[in-house]
Amino acid sequence: MLKARWYKVINDLFGNKTRTLLIVLSMSVGLFALGIILSARTILSEGLAESFAAINPSSGTMRTAELFDENFLESVRSMEDVQDADARRQISARVQTTLGEWKNITIFVVADYDDIRVNKVSSQSGAWPPPEREILIERAALSVIDAQIGDVLLVRFPNDVERRVRIAGSAYDPAQLPAQLDGTPYGYITFDTLEWFGEPYGFNELHVLATNPKDKFWAQQVVNRVKDKTEKSGYTIPLSMTAEPGQLPMNDVLQGILLLMGLLGVLSLFLSIFLVINTVSALLTQQKRQIGVMKAVGGSTLQILGMYLVMVLAYGALALLIAIPLGVVGARELSSALAVFFNFDIYSTEIQSQTFIIQVAIGLILPVLASLIPFISSLRMSAAEAMSVYNTSKGRFGKNWIDQLISGANLWFMRNLSIRSILLSVRNTFRNKGRLTLTLITLTLGSATFISVFNVRASLSSTVEDMIKWFNCDVMLTLDRTYRADKVQHEAMNVPGVTQTDVWIQMPTRLVRSDDSESGMIYMFAPTIHAESLIVSPTIAEGRWLEPDDDNAAVVPSAFLQDEPELHLGGEMVLKIDGKERTFKIVGTYVGMAFLPLVYTNYEYITQVTNRVGEADALMVKMDRHDPAYVDVTTRALEDHFERMGVRVSMVSTINNERTEAEASFDAIVALLLVMAILLALVGGLGLMGTMSINVLERTREIGVLRAIGASNRSVALVFIREGIVIGLMSWLMGALVAIPMSQGLNQALGQAVMGVPLTYSYSMPGLWLWLVVVICLSVLASFIPARTASRLTVREVLAYE
Amino acid sequence: MNSSTANPLIELRAVVKVYNSLAGSVTALNEINLKIAQGEFLVVTGRSGSGKTTLVNVITGLDRATSGEIWIDGAPLHRFGSEKAAKLRGKTMGVVFQSFELLPTLTVLQNVMLPMDFARRFSAWEQRKRALNLLEQVDIAEHAKKLPAALSGGQQQRLAIARAMANDPAILVADEPTGSLDSATATAVIDIFEGLVQQGRTVFMVTHDKDIAKRGSRTITLSDGEIVQAKENIHA
Repeated sequence: MLKARWYKVINDLFGNKTRTLLIVLSMSVGLFALGIILSARTILSEGLAESFAAINPSSGTMRTAELFDENFLESVRSMEDVQDADARRQISARVQTTLGEWKNITIFVVADYDDIRVNKVSSQSGAWPPPEREILIERAALSVIDAQIGDVLLVRFPNDVERRVRIAGSAYDPAQLPAQLDGTPYGYITFDTLEWFGEPYGFNELHVLATNPKDKFWAQQVVNRVKDKTEKSGYTIPLSMTAEPGQLPMNDVLQGILLLMGLLGVLSLFLSIFLVINTVSALLTQQKRQIGVMKAVGGSTLQILGMYLVMVLAYGALALLIAIPLGVVGARELSSALAVFFNFDIYSTEIQSQTFIIQVAIGLILPVLASLIPFISSLRMSAAEAMSVYNTSKGRFGKNWIDQLISGANLWFMRNLSIRSILLSVRNTFRNKGRLTLTLITLTLGSATFISVFNVRASLSSTVEDMIKWFNCDVMLTLDRTYRADKVQHEAMNVPGVTQTDVWIQMPTRLVRSDDSESGMIYMFAPTIHAESLIVSPTIAEGRWLEPDDDNAAVVPSAFLQDEPELHLGGEMVLKIDGKERTFKIVGTYVGMAFLPLVYTNYEYITQVTNRVGEADALMVKMDRHDPAYVDVTTRALEDHFERMGVRVSMVSTINNERTEAEASFDAIVALLLVMAILLALVGGLGLMGTMSINVLERTREIGVLRAIGASNRSVALVFIREGIVIGLMSWLMGALVAIPMSQGLNQALGQAVMGVPLTYSYSMPGLWLWLVVVICLSVLASFIPARTASRLTVREVLAYE
Repeated sequence: MNSSTANPLIELRAVVKVYNSLAGSVTALNEINLKIAQGEFLVVTGRSGSGKTTLVNVITGLDRATSGEIWIDGAPLHRFGSEKAAKLRGKTMGVVFQSFELLPTLTVLQNVMLPMDFARRFSAWEQRKRALNLLEQVDIAEHAKKLPAALSGGQQQRLAIARAMANDPAILVADEPTGSLDSATATAVIDIFEGLVQQGRTVFMVTHDKDIAKRGSRTITLSDGEIVQAKENIHA
């Protein structure tokens, strides 16, 4: 037979269903967020690792300007320390989408689709391998070109041959950047189809797998040896990439997201703890008299503490019943969505038992630990004090400087305003400062996170803007080879709408270190430096930007100096260009991405030392209008004109598209952050509701007094609703301030994870005002139910409250 | 003025209780000396604010005296912390309040069983049996499964008395037990107290009702925290 005290615990749990629901929901939100994060991290990390292992990823990829054949591939395969190698043909073509829009498309040609050894591509649906004169599209790219299997696409190769090809199926190629992120779709054809396009047989892309691919330094050296062999064999390498061991292309971004999820999970857990303290305080206030009675009839502190701890354990257990299954479903949905977004397969959505153990431990232990604080302070009170009639409405208002500030003479300016009931709400807010502090901490954290999410969004946009503003043009055309700069500029100016042009030259280089080892590929950009240049200086971190009379000056990304400790500002660096070593002086560093280092040098100097004087392989065009539709139309006219003049364009990038694609790539991060922010706001709202409920309870006698002196239902309710709004506004103000360092921290973490540099800090005013509206609505909602309860109390009920 | 008894069950020596509040210090009990013998029915009267409830609180250990000594059945309550005081209360004293102070989420039966549970004196089955017996003694056994809110004021006070008697205490302390009751019900409650006294228990009751005060074996009157009058009542 159950002991009497446990009947009380059970009856308290199920007797006040609203209170139990409020507490259980509050705990569930934190535990749910924790479950999602822990499980999604595991599912995604395992999925990523398995997807990666399944494709037999290369240690490095290099592209040659000239075509090579199987014999050369075999010679690479037979090299010492090369575990395996594979070759493809890669072509930058143009495709007309079903909506009539022309886009860049990267087409791969594979000799034998059933024997891809490195960076494997597999069938997703439809035909496999691609039939002759048909194409497979990477599965993530179908949406980018608004197409589906069976559609016919018009594809234009760099040799100006246009063919209509049917999409015969979709392929899965996780080694590529997801198409929706860089905006470039990927297609797969056979060499027969390539011939149909009028292109000769041959490979231009070599994938190398080192013998010990997990050793990054070793893999780099093996790839460099293959590069040397390739160059000695007479091939030029305009582009090469060394892979990070064990990582897919979007690993950094995904890790950034997981990191953010982890940070927000910890934050939501903190909020839940505050909420537990807050709600348990509310519960104890509500039960203060009963605690006094239990002490009066002989209950010891330990016995009473035991009863309430069991109650909190029961709340935790009920919260776990909700949070665990929802967390599992949420984690699976989130993992699937992120896997689709980052284009990799999840092989298992099994949730590890450790996740449940952590959730159960936190769900049961943390609330108990958190509630010990209010328990101890409550149980230390004497039984007489606990049962005192006057205690419930005593309050401690009036003694300290805050109370003095919001009362009496300091508010002389309000004397003639009919806002006395507002003042009552303001002063009531400060009566129980301990509870106000807890509520404010919960709501302020929620506010700060919400505002910070918008700040991160704004900072991402600012970062994109910062990068794009270096290019003071509307469109950039990459040409298939170098042309006479004055000719392409002159022809471009003949197109209506074009107002200004500029050229640059770009080439791959490698850093030669003092021990003769070489770095991975570094892209060298050589823009023209003069007053009308369309490339303006990137954001300089240290030193200066290039000047017109600079010779061998170079500006490098600041992160590059951290990766290469021998280099320093003002020092020299040796770069290998066209197989020859040339010394450059580092005159400045700029804030830029680390994973693809770009080194800026002067166009005049580079064209001289590489015997390309007066030549260019990239053209920037500025137009008289900058709206996307106009820029697209003018760009098409420009492409058509160049085609007629025999200038082949291999890639077109409009600044508008670059901006949209860059911002779109961050949408997943922002959406995820927003979901977490809403969860945190919910936790904050629940906390406020708990506080307002207890305020109503504590002031039951005062409500009686208000009603006795003629206050209407509306007036009584408004006192509490206004109090809720005052707390909400305070949290908004404090949240706005806390959001400054919080968003800086998020920017730092996200920027480092995704781009290797912190994001350009930006404070989102729309986010601030939006949260103001949300927090006011939340405050009104959270205080409405307690306020309605208060307004419904009759004087008789109030007097009977004792 | 002091009262004295030969073998006191309760003894107060120079008990002082001072409350400190925002308004300043208030002396609620000032040098109280009091002896209560076993089987005595002591009634404390006085006007509102005279210190009656404070006296109940310090005698029961619900609150600590600022100074002085309180001896309960030979135990120095003034030296006890709240834990030890609770245990002493559970074993030696039953307390009845003016506003009943029943636990609203426990049934009538469970309210009576709760002190026994805290005192760990009986098995759960015995607790139940004993509680039913006590409810029968105060004539509310038929309401055992109801919640307190379903009882009338008089029934709630009977329930509070049954609860106070749960651990068979030697002392019953009642603070204005008839304050919320009509006169007929109040009389019935006092009848119960008299019955307990006849069984050898000691009753310490606070009231401001002069007629009810006369039913005690001794009456003391408090004013401004001091005993101003002590009177033996002679019953026919």
